[in-house]
Amino acid sequence: MILDGKVPSGHITEKWDKHRFEMKLVSPANKRKYKILVVGTGLAGASAAASLAELGYQVEVFTYHDSPRRAHSIAAQGGINAAKNYPNDGDSIWRLFYDTVKGGDFRSREANVYRLAQVSNNIIDQCVAQGVPFAREYSGYLANRSFGGAQLSRTFYARGQTGQQLLLGAYSALMRQVGLKKIILHTRTEMLDLVVIDGVARGIVTRNLLNGKIESFVGDAVVLATGGYSNVFFLSTNAQACNVTATYRAYKRGAFFANPCFTQIHPTCIPQSGEHQSKLTLMSESLRNDGRVWVPKNPGDKRKPTDIPEDERDYYLERMYPSYGNLAPRDIASRAAKRVCDEGRGVGPTGNAVYLDFSDAIKRLGKKVIEERYGNLFEMYERITGDNPYETPMMIYPAPHYTMGGLWVDYNLMSNLPGLHVIGEANFSDHGANRLGASALMQGLADGYFILPYTIGHYFATTKLEKVTTDHPEFKKCEEEVKERIKKLMSINGKKTPTQFHRELGKIMWDNVGMARTEESLKKALELVPKLREEFWSNLTMVGEEGDLNIVLEKALRVADFLEFAELMIWDALERDESCGGHFREEHQYPDGEAKRDDERFCHVAAWEYTGVGNKPIRHIEPLTFEYVPLTVRSYK
Amino acid sequence: MGFFSYLRSTVLSKVVMAITGAIIVLYVIVHTAGNLLIYLGRDTLNSYSAFLHSLGPILWIIRIILIVSAILHIITSIKLKFENWRSKPTKYAVKNYLKAKFTSRTMIWTGLMILAFVIYHLLHFTIRVTNPQHYYPEFYQPHNAVSSVILERFDVYRMVVLGFQNPLISIVYIIGVITVGFHLDHAIQSMFQTLGYNQKHYFPTIQKCSTGIAIIIALCLVSIPISVMLGFVGGGI
Amino acid sequence: MKLTLHIWRQKNSSEKGHFETYQLDNVIEDMSFLEMLDVLNEKLVLEGKEPIAFDHDCREGICGACSLTINGIPHGPEKATTTCQLHMRKFKDGDEIWIEPFRAKAFPVIKDLIVDRSAFDRIIQAGGFISVNTGQAPEANSILVPKQNAEKAMDAAQCIGCGACVAACPNGSAMLFVSAKVAHFAYLPQGQPERKLRVLKMVEQMQKEGFGNCSNMYECEAACPKEISVRNIALMFRDYLKASCSEEKLELVENE
Repeated sequence: MILDGKVPSGHITEKWDKHRFEMKLVSPANKRKYKILVVGTGLAGASAAASLAELGYQVEVFTYHDSPRRAHSIAAQGGINAAKNYPNDGDSIWRLFYDTVKGGDFRSREANVYRLAQVSNNIIDQCVAQGVPFAREYSGYLANRSFGGAQLSRTFYARGQTGQQLLLGAYSALMRQVGLKKIILHTRTEMLDLVVIDGVARGIVTRNLLNGKIESFVGDAVVLATGGYSNVFFLSTNAQACNVTATYRAYKRGAFFANPCFTQIHPTCIPQSGEHQSKLTLMSESLRNDGRVWVPKNPGDKRKPTDIPEDERDYYLERMYPSYGNLAPRDIASRAAKRVCDEGRGVGPTGNAVYLDFSDAIKRLGKKVIEERYGNLFEMYERITGDNPYETPMMIYPAPHYTMGGLWVDYNLMSNLPGLHVIGEANFSDHGANRLGASALMQGLADGYFILPYTIGHYFATTKLEKVTTDHPEFKKCEEEVKERIKKLMSINGKKTPTQFHRELGKIMWDNVGMARTEESLKKALELVPKLREEFWSNLTMVGEEGDLNIVLEKALRVADFLEFAELMIWDALERDESCGGHFREEHQYPDGEAKRDDERFCHVAAWEYTGVGNKPIRHIEPLTFEYVPLTVRSYK
Repeated sequence: MGFFSYLRSTVLSKVVMAITGAIIVLYVIVHTAGNLLIYLGRDTLNSYSAFLHSLGPILWIIRIILIVSAILHIITSIKLKFENWRSKPTKYAVKNYLKAKFTSRTMIWTGLMILAFVIYHLLHFTIRVTNPQHYYPEFYQPHNAVSSVILERFDVYRMVVLGFQNPLISIVYIIGVITVGFHLDHAIQSMFQTLGYNQKHYFPTIQKCSTGIAIIIALCLVSIPISVMLGFVGGGI
Repeated sequence: MKLTLHIWRQKNSSEKGHFETYQLDNVIEDMSFLEMLDVLNEKLVLEGKEPIAFDHDCREGICGACSLTINGIPHGPEKATTTCQLHMRKFKDGDEIWIEPFRAKAFPVIKDLIVDRSAFDRIIQAGGFISVNTGQAPEANSILVPKQNAEKAMDAAQCIGCGACVAACPNGSAMLFVSAKVAHFAYLPQGQPERKLRVLKMVEQMQKEGFGNCSNMYECEAACPKEISVRNIALMFRDYLKASCSEEKLELVENE
């Protein structure tokens, strides 16, 4: 099937305005007749829920956390982009649009990206009005910095906690509506299924994490803002509870999952200290401005880094990419690190780390300058590792931290299932195959504050919705299925914990579907994952009761979905026989290691349709056209 | 409820604690300074005492302000304490404190001890019922008198000396005024914090001063019974 | 290293809790405190026992979910560090560690080490926001914010809502949490229109939730993983006093 993104006609600069005019409106008096279920309370979910409630809709919000403020958007450090051009350095909506399309390696929908750039400025206005304490100049004006290799200073920031401050802004807007009784908030409630009636998304089935109660909620539209699936790799910078369940369940109910193989790896994370660890901490990439990356020349060299003489060190980035050296692009630097570790030259207790050495920079600039630039990062590093980076080199390793893929949505952020809207990291739309730094916050808030509140009204105004209640047989059926599944998990009586399975799955995925993929590795993974899944369903151990707060069961439910979802990811990576952005197929690269796109065959979105566990899903296509940003080879030379 | 409706507000209760506390602290400072006159001899102390009594209605105004302050301070603190106990029904099995000092954690106990001490103090020296045998009038000749008039006034000096020559009474006083010191150590800086005066550049100084004043007051007051017991003061009586 | 752990176990909010003692060998220095508990939990699950329930999520010290009282100090002995960022190298081989939930009446225990901190959410609902609807905002640079004020606002806004202040306070008071939010908005021009109403409503809700009073012991400040200052409490007291004598207060009383 060829999917229609429903992009409005007209010049790209006018599409959104024109579309806003053409969309049907719901009168204020009628808005309160519609109920919207919003799942997830990160930037996208909280901002959408608040904005929709302000408009007068009835809103119910769901989060598995104890409070909406805990969502993982809170951990974003760097900043949020906007095309304000305050520094007068030549920025514009067009340039932000252009950079984002190009940065996404031409796998995003042009019209969506342009709209994102357009509303980016409104986001800053809105957040400032909410009291987000962005950095300021002495004059009192907003400060900007350049971020993630951008040539412009377009990033707004609140120290190293921009995500936290933006989320608290959205959270406060959300809580205001909860206080006004316009929103019903369900905390510690996890969505376990989507209810689709006559092809239309009408509700969700949830599990109350405190008492295990399975409940149904009916609405006129369902909004998923449930984030990404980096935790499929077990090792990632995502929070412990981040999972794919909500989007994967929607996929199983007929929503298409787009570009699941587009995952992003961050090159400067603190490496794993041992088997016990799954959460990795990300450190700002700015460290690479002054640090030199190296590993010992000889495999298995276990000496202390300071004892290894200069001529036995391999500054591999400087050697392989002399023109960039240590500043080689994220994906290239990440892959090079993996390569040297695979050669047995990795360092640290697990052998999966490389050195990032500041001794030369300290000699050149003095300790004081380094302290000014990176003091807080060094402190964080020392707290976690116990090593003092002023004296001994830091150790770093790449880790997954963002997923560009997600449920397929059209220009209105609605999936192929009418009524199911998907926003933020959970959808696929704006970042293409690779996300630029400081753009995730922008997209989450754009969707929630300024796009969904308009487009969802259009859906209501143009759709005749039957009256249904949770007594509808479809709700009962879904509830039963969820209960059935939990019963099954509780009764396996095997020997391995959900975490053990998760760790094994992560290893398969990281080794074979990680930052470098080959047809061979993918086919291997395609054999391993179903086997592991089989073992999971026959050898899982479980404790506690289903009708109680049960952290093992929570984990098992999430891992069960990851085990199915992983296969979908592999299929997508296998079928996308090209390299682009975060998806790197070793068969397709330029001599310098750059990803080699195949625009003839793959200039499209791959949206997958579920056909049953273990079956190959059906691959649908939404062709991508680039009228305004000409297709070019990504080059950082 | 009326006036006492402030008790419903946690912040206003605190403010009442701070203001009444401030009044009492000011009084304690003046009172301490007055007591130190004992070192200047019998005449100075007794004439100071006579001067205070000569104030008449003003003395009563001061006393009423003090009594009202003390009552509000006590009622409010007890109400706050009961609420605080209610808010922390389960204690930790192991508890380590980082910043809360012994003095700040024991305010209610030092406070109650001070209350008992003050009651005793009043009975002893002001109402004079515990040791009536210590109270003598003093006959003296005013400095500026032209003729040899003899006047009569309370012999506070003798009363204090006789009192403190009793080691039991002295120990009660020493414990009492050390308790006052503990209480003040936390109280003075706490007052500033509650009234909203806590800025980076001066608050550490306030905290040091708080401890300093508390120690000085305690030392000054402890010195009197000790001096009496050691015979430095009032040896001739 | 080997550790002896005394951990609070409590089936649910209505049942009584108790300490259970666990021996854990092979603890690695580089583990975070929560990873050490993960290892214990894996062991328990494999033995068919119920693992210890505790709140956690981001594991990088920003979400505010983790909440243990370790040896009598919320988030443990390390200054300005959440439990998830506390590492085992801060302990010694053979140490005995007491792990308890955050304790306060307003934070009832849900299970084991998990407590219910929704009281914080209700305080925010009462007034921890600026009432601006999406779309109403003026151009961002049209209202200037002096850098010093933006910095002070940020200092206060860093609060992660973990509740360590309440847990540390011998009175179970939430003053530091509430005042951080009050101060955050008080330092910004955008927060001025609702400044008085906000402090009145938030303090009122705080009292309704059963938090204790402030005795200026500053234990909250010492335990706060984000080093939020008690100066915010002083500011809140001052604001509250002013607000108590204002028309906003009258309005609130009349509306009741």
